[in-house]
Amino acid sequence: MFAYYLQLGLRSLRRNPALTALMVIAIGFGVAASMTTYAVFRAVSGDPIPWKSDQLFVPQIDSWGPAQGRQAGDLPDALSYTDAMALMRAHVGHRQTAIYPVGLSLIPPGQTAKPIAAHGYATYTDFFSMFDVPFQYGSSWPVSDDTGRGNAVVITRKLNQRLFGGADSVGKVINLDGSDYRVSGVIRDWNPKPRFFDVANGSGFGGEADFYMPFTRAIDLQIGTGGNNNCTKVAAAGWDGWLHSSCVWIAYWVELPTAAAVTRYRNYLKGYAADQRKSGRFDWTPAVRLSDVPQWLNLQHVVPPETRVSMLISLGFLVVCLVNTIGLLLAKFMRRAPEIGVRRALGASRREIYKQFLLEAAAVGLVGGVLGLLLTGVGMLGVGLVFEADVARLAHMNLSLVMLTVLVAVVATLLAALYPTWRAASVQPAWQLKSN
Amino acid sequence: MQIKPILTALRHHKAGTVLIAVQIALTLAIVCNALFIIHQRVTQLSQPSGLDEAHLIRIQNQWVGKADDKAYGSLMATDLATLRKLPGVADAYATNSVPLSGGGWSMSLRLKADQSAPSAQTAIYFSDDHTLSTLGLKLVAGRNFRADDIRPMSAKEDLLHPAVIIVTRALADKLFPTSRAVGQTVYLANHLSTIIGVVERMQTPWVGMSWGSAASTLVPFRLLTGGTNYVIRTQPGQPDRVRRSAPDALFAQNRMRVIPDQHGVETFRQIRADAYASDRGMAILMGVICVVLLAITAAGIVGLTSFWVGQRRKQIGVRRALGATRGDILSYFLTENLLIGMGGVLLGIALAIGLNLWMVTRFEMQHLSLWYVLAGAVALLLLGQGAVLAPALRASRVSPVEATRSV
Amino acid sequence: MLKMNHLSKVYRTEVVETYALRDFNIDVKEGEFVAVTGPSGSGKTTFLTIAGLLETFSGGEYHLDGIEVSQLNDNARSKIRNEKIGFIFQAFNLIPDLNVYDNIEVPLRYRGMKGAERKQRIMDSLERVGLSSRAKHYPAELSGGQQQRVAIARALAGSPRLLLADEPTGNLDTQMARGVLELIEDIHRDGATIVMVTHDPELAARAQRNVHIIDGQVVDLSEEPRFHAHAGEAAQGQTL
Repeated sequence: MFAYYLQLGLRSLRRNPALTALMVIAIGFGVAASMTTYAVFRAVSGDPIPWKSDQLFVPQIDSWGPAQGRQAGDLPDALSYTDAMALMRAHVGHRQTAIYPVGLSLIPPGQTAKPIAAHGYATYTDFFSMFDVPFQYGSSWPVSDDTGRGNAVVITRKLNQRLFGGADSVGKVINLDGSDYRVSGVIRDWNPKPRFFDVANGSGFGGEADFYMPFTRAIDLQIGTGGNNNCTKVAAAGWDGWLHSSCVWIAYWVELPTAAAVTRYRNYLKGYAADQRKSGRFDWTPAVRLSDVPQWLNLQHVVPPETRVSMLISLGFLVVCLVNTIGLLLAKFMRRAPEIGVRRALGASRREIYKQFLLEAAAVGLVGGVLGLLLTGVGMLGVGLVFEADVARLAHMNLSLVMLTVLVAVVATLLAALYPTWRAASVQPAWQLKSN
Repeated sequence: MQIKPILTALRHHKAGTVLIAVQIALTLAIVCNALFIIHQRVTQLSQPSGLDEAHLIRIQNQWVGKADDKAYGSLMATDLATLRKLPGVADAYATNSVPLSGGGWSMSLRLKADQSAPSAQTAIYFSDDHTLSTLGLKLVAGRNFRADDIRPMSAKEDLLHPAVIIVTRALADKLFPTSRAVGQTVYLANHLSTIIGVVERMQTPWVGMSWGSAASTLVPFRLLTGGTNYVIRTQPGQPDRVRRSAPDALFAQNRMRVIPDQHGVETFRQIRADAYASDRGMAILMGVICVVLLAITAAGIVGLTSFWVGQRRKQIGVRRALGATRGDILSYFLTENLLIGMGGVLLGIALAIGLNLWMVTRFEMQHLSLWYVLAGAVALLLLGQGAVLAPALRASRVSPVEATRSV
Repeated sequence: MLKMNHLSKVYRTEVVETYALRDFNIDVKEGEFVAVTGPSGSGKTTFLTIAGLLETFSGGEYHLDGIEVSQLNDNARSKIRNEKIGFIFQAFNLIPDLNVYDNIEVPLRYRGMKGAERKQRIMDSLERVGLSSRAKHYPAELSGGQQQRVAIARALAGSPRLLLADEPTGNLDTQMARGVLELIEDIHRDGATIVMVTHDPELAARAQRNVHIIDGQVVDLSEEPRFHAHAGEAAQGQTL
């Protein structure tokens, strides 16, 4: 019967090409708009480290106090050097690292090459095991480089390619801002989207970093942050004045593998905050917060509002297209009330009528889906016009999006067809057949 | 026109009537909000920066190697001298940031030292006596910086406490709404500074900041760090030439520097395009959606009305046979559509306002102007009338003979 | 074959209740050819649509081929219509989008019949109505008489035990009507039970027995002297 109904459906659709085209176009546009904006949304709202995102946490401490006229719960989104170092020393988590972005210039070997700008992060060695960073050669630097301010550096595949032609460069030396560093490892392509450990700077969707160096070494060399530095009071003069000011500029991450570890860490943070008041550093008890990766991304509004608003508007657009389709299908089906009457008289049960008309609708949905697919492809080419380049680059067609596009088109059309089909199946054969 | 019989007839087409009304309502809700978003974005991106944008070029420069801050000062002075001598260059200066570039400093201002809440937030631009002439800023009160106002400032060693500052008119009006700003003193961080001049307009580096897009302060400092921005004003017709010659001249002067491949040398037009990329994009997207949505709604009305006309041919024939003129039939369908349209529009107004209120709380949007809703409502009613015209004309041409035909 | 006891059918609107059939009794034996007559609006067609399970009734009993049908669900009723009943309508009721072949195929499709058997039956029934050459034509390309013969072929293809005809010649001229009637009598001779609704006394006279309906009830014509001769003959038929 499936083939029979499909054949009937296609024949019926061919009979009113204008009406059919209108339905297909409506569904195609509705689905394409929704899918294009969804692709962007999907790209920016994904979990960058799904297997571990509930074990990685960001602590926040209200080191600014209540006097700043901020709302309750609005804590600084980074730590001050004082707090970050206190947390590192306490070492309460399973693993932990303080992180800040650095921008240095790199002098390639050889006399003629121009210096290049290199972007990297100052971290502790735990960074690599916490975030499961994959190594191509070598490994992270030993803990002794963290404590001993060692001149180790981990470089990325991209930089290794540029400097060493992709060869194993472990043990080789590179020069950053006039200082030499010994390569301890080369990591494979690794650029989580969003770059959850550094969302406070930039969109979170930028290009890959070039290198990672020990945090302690960077502080030693007085390398300032390449990211945001937020202060409530002007710091005392000089590097030490800045380090011990209330300025917040350090991202801090801790790995807590069990619920018990999370509870313990939360208690530790509260205790630490209370101690800061007791010791007279603050005249308030600082609020603290511990967020895992999804909570943190949400808190930092990593998904740009444009993405949500445009997805919302597109979904509304799809709904209008569906309402439109309901009306047109209703007209199309009810025009065939006499045929339905005859079929019912000749032995078609309501269920058969449902099958016949839903299949016809599904055919419309399928063609609409194919059109939607083409238009989504066009939409993908156009996302660069609408969204930030960093974000637009991430949106792309893949098999799952193709299937989803067609599926949404068919399911949406079937939903739209429910009411018209119900009306068709409710046609009273006797009324249609009584001699006019 | 007889409205009551139309309403009675509509009761026999409940589903179709409701569907058209709902479609009109949803379309109105979406189009109003989309147009409003377009309006906001276009307003945003058509704000003047206050700069002579057509002739400006920015170069991002990063020194290589570790120099002390004093050395940076002389390197920058040499660079500026090189740039100002370059053919096609009208003027140049060095700064931390330029309007719309997305990154920069901001600070709060206080009128009294012990004031707990700040009086205003402002962007801080490091400037010298060439800044006004380079950017093409218009001084509306007071004076420009003099060469002897300019002092070096090392980020690591010195504190920001300028004796004199220049503010934008927007900031001056906010701080001193009733009196002249020039000559007044304000606390920038913890230090007292005197306002010596007011410029007409200069946008902040950030787009869409809650504290205003034009509250900027110029401070007479040369910031001594490894990274700086050179801003060049070219002579008319020269931007393309200077864009190529300026980095070459800088490298010829001193090779130990990095000018990034991306965004290293940019005209102000590019900076503006980048800053407003998402605003422009949203406006385009909303525009496309509005157009397609209106087209689909109109087509839907045409489709359903055509079906009704087809269904009622006999009825129309009877009416014609009983003496209805073509005009009567035409106005019957137009009135019918108007009634449905008004129902839809009423629902749509409620939906549009509801959707906007929800987006206000959820996405920090602004409140929808009622004029948009009213204009949208009128537009949709007209769209409905336009869409129904073709099927209604066809209906009016139904011959009275139809009354006598069976089926 | 078809037995109704005290059957009633009420149409309810917001304002009024109308009895289309009231205390309606009829018994049609297997193999009978019964004509149902009556004035316009008497309930003839309502009777036929109920008999054909196209409509439900409000009260009473209806046994079709020994089955009490009032409790059957839509699926079971559709199955009975499909397998046991053939319909012939005044307006032919062919599906305009389908050609002759596809029209006749419709009930066979719902029976789930294999393609080869369907083809065999369609060709047989087309031959029987003398339209073998018109299989690929669309209804609009045929005359009224031809259309009605296609409708009969469609009814025949499923080999129904009961044929329900509603004014089968109402839309045809005399000559075409004669041909159609001969076909129906032919089908009757082959053993099918036939119930034909008509207001044409001449047509009714061809049946074995006449049943007369007035105001939704079967009336005994022997007690209704107002009726004319043909009706009288029909009443005699009833006593056979």
